Amino acid sequence: MSTGIRTSRALEPVLWFAGLLLIWQILVRAFEVPIFVLPAPTDFLADLIEERHRLALHGLITTKLILYGFIAGALPGVVLGYLIAKFRLAEQILYPIVVFIQGLPKITLAPLMLVWFGFADTPKVILTGLITFFPVLVDSVAGFKSIDPRQYYLSKSVGASWWQTFRLFELPSAAPQIFSGLRITIVIAVTVVIVVEWLNSQNGLGYLVLRAMDGTNTPFLFAILFVASLIGVVLSFGVAFLERLLLPWRRI
Amino acid sequence: MDKGNSAAMSSSSPVRAMVGASIVASGITKVYGHGTNAALHALGPMGLNVKPGEFVSLIGPSGCGKSTTLLLVSGLESVTEGKIEFDGQILRKPISDVGIVFQDHLLLDFRTALKNVMLQQEIRGLDAAELRARADMLFDRLGIAGSEGRYPRQLSGGMRQRVSIARALVHDPSMLLMDEPFGALDAITRTQSRHDLEMLWMETQKTVLFITHSIEEAVGLSDRVLVMSKSPGMIVEEIKIDLPRPRPAHLGEYPEFAQYAERIYQIFAKLGVYKF
Repeated sequence: MSTGIRTSRALEPVLWFAGLLLIWQILVRAFEVPIFVLPAPTDFLADLIEERHRLALHGLITTKLILYGFIAGALPGVVLGYLIAKFRLAEQILYPIVVFIQGLPKITLAPLMLVWFGFADTPKVILTGLITFFPVLVDSVAGFKSIDPRQYYLSKSVGASWWQTFRLFELPSAAPQIFSGLRITIVIAVTVVIVVEWLNSQNGLGYLVLRAMDGTNTPFLFAILFVASLIGVVLSFGVAFLERLLLPWRRI
Repeated sequence: MDKGNSAAMSSSSPVRAMVGASIVASGITKVYGHGTNAALHALGPMGLNVKPGEFVSLIGPSGCGKSTTLLLVSGLESVTEGKIEFDGQILRKPISDVGIVFQDHLLLDFRTALKNVMLQQEIRGLDAAELRARADMLFDRLGIAGSEGRYPRQLSGGMRQRVSIARALVHDPSMLLMDEPFGALDAITRTQSRHDLEMLWMETQKTVLFITHSIEEAVGLSDRVLVMSKSPGMIVEEIKIDLPRPRPAHLGEYPEFAQYAERIYQIFAKLGVYKF
């Protein structure tokens, strides 16, 4: 009984989505919209199936860059967030730099990155990292600052070392807030990587987008967007899953 | 190696069953902040002397510096003036041979009840099996067996406070510092907790410094009650409680209890704690 309800709940959005595609299909056909303006679902779904190997190959390349860039931004975000929250000196030195970098439209650094790091993956990862870094930093600072100061009475009285204090008290306390930053950031990372791939690439979904645009192949463009959003959804769920796994107390 | 260091070293040694530690504090004051305007004179000057294995209560109006006293005695805050000796050695850093029950329990909400208690084992690197057995015993004795796997948020206020008492005792420290541990509990739970604590103390003979604003708790538990004045707090009276143990749930059974309570009440009245 309850599993039946659960299945129907999971099915509901799928049905809505299917219904939407059906209406889309009918409208495009009824008004005879040119295919290069707006393809009917059957057009791009056909492309999706036909080009599945190419889409998977380039999708995986993009996914890899998203994950690398995400980690390259999130890890320093948490570490610097901790330093800024904990040490006044770090706050005084780092915050102005961080705010300046945040003010900078980072995508304009792309040419510079190419000069510095060549045409491989490195500049893409660094750019993605620069953009994903800030939201994680902000949430990490907030998370580490929100720790009840009396918790330090406890950690001191049990004789916790610096590392134990960080690992057993501070990190778990700040983790929920850090994860709220990660959840936002992973979606941003998808966009950033695809845009960065426009600038210089021989592969990845961004590269495919350019190829599709060159040929005014709008159905293929839609197929790429479908894959890109699928990647975004899967990665978001991945972060949410990680949060459930690592922070079991949040579920109660 | 100076004395302060060796005190810290010995206090980080593994579990040892022994009689309680002693505390001798003389002329201690605590001033928060600097300058004449910003400074807050929270405590003292006051002296304090707790003998090994003794159960001493500090009672006084709220804001008189009771909690500050506990923080100073535990070494978590440093004294502005005066000195504190823990087991004969001058206190320079937080003592770790201690169990502290903080006000509002201070459990970590990301750890289960048992893992909160076993934090002591994890951080101090003590024998896991031995500490686990002690934790089981304490959960049982404190009436919280069965809640080991629950998170603090899933426990009632009374249970949380009991978990925090278990955490303060599991590593068998030679001193127990308690800051209004039963303050947030209902009357029934409070009476039960008081009895459970008294029984545990009678078995282990640890030194206990117990902070409370309840006359009943102070008289019901202590060998000696130290009465504090309003802020900045000082000890104005020392009352030896000469009642047999374990003391009953209903303290009114002893006519002496009423006399002790009346004495504390009179001191408070004289200090202007009560305004009627």
